Amino acid sequence: APSPLSSRQLVSALHNLTRHVVYRGLTRAEDILCLFPENFHQNLKNLLTKIILENISAWRNEAQANQISLPRLVDMDWRVDIKTSSDSIVRMAVPTCLLQLKIQEDAALCGNNPVVSALTVELSKETLDTMLEGLGRIRDQLSAVANK
Amino acid sequence: VSSQQFSALTEVLFRFLTEPKEVERFLTQLSDFATMNKISLGPLKNIVKSILLVPNGALKRNLSSEQVRADFIALGLSEEKAGYFAEQWKVNSPTLTRLAVGQTLMINQLIDMEWKFGVTAGSSELEKVGSIFLQLKLVIKKGSQLENVYVELTLPQFYSFLHEMERVKTSLESFS
Repeated sequence: APSPLSSRQLVSALHNLTRHVVYRGLTRAEDILCLFPENFHQNLKNLLTKIILENISAWRNEAQANQISLPRLVDMDWRVDIKTSSDSIVRMAVPTCLLQLKIQEDAALCGNNPVVSALTVELSKETLDTMLEGLGRIRDQLSAVANK
Repeated sequence: VSSQQFSALTEVLFRFLTEPKEVERFLTQLSDFATMNKISLGPLKNIVKSILLVPNGALKRNLSSEQVRADFIALGLSEEKAGYFAEQWKVNSPTLTRLAVGQTLMINQLIDMEWKFGVTAGSSELEKVGSIFLQLKLVIKKGSQLENVYVELTLPQFYSFLHEMERVKTSLESFS
């Protein structure tokens, strides 16, 4: 019967193998097969390779999603209000935008309980115009990079 | 107070109203006026305080220059001087209105936005990545303090954000 120590070693070895495959971005069966030692059980080797290949893109995506990063935008909502009155002017009709950004803290720091905070920001028409100018410039820079 | 002196005083008043931060300049100009016209500063300041109430009230209630003129005449000012003041009011009221609207309460006002984008080359988990990220730094005014908020967006999120902001612009424009 397998001892706790040897089970742990087994899990650890499997973990190292899969991490290595994901890290190197190996996608071909031959590349994975040649990682096994020479006298490794043939059928087991093929089975493990098959399972690894099936899971590779899911693991890769997960690794990328869990990368360290700045807080990430997860959702965004907006609404437009009309300000009709204030303590400095009794009657006016000024449209203003409220933008709510849902931001998730660094996934790597939070593990399985990511902290999501909501930030509400108010934008006047002028601020929005300036922001759109900036976003337009980003879009132009991105297309320039993509077309190179 | 002669009409010339009154026009000079009105000018000083309106210059202060359109640039309310220039308090020192205003006070200096007032005391210059007092010395030049041999009026003592104390009573002058009191008069100016009462005069300033009129444009502030007028601004709050969106009064026309006709109504401002009528108000001043009711307060005992000569027709000529009231007319002059009302004229000045007409000229300056767009600026004054804009200033008052600008003072209106704003929640977490967005002051500035900076960005950078780049490519993630590799990580501890993945040797070669090659994904593009966009990082935004938003400077937000919370009460009287400025706060920096850093957010990362993927490209699809960026395009979607841009699209939404364009929809907001259309919405704001339809209400202006």
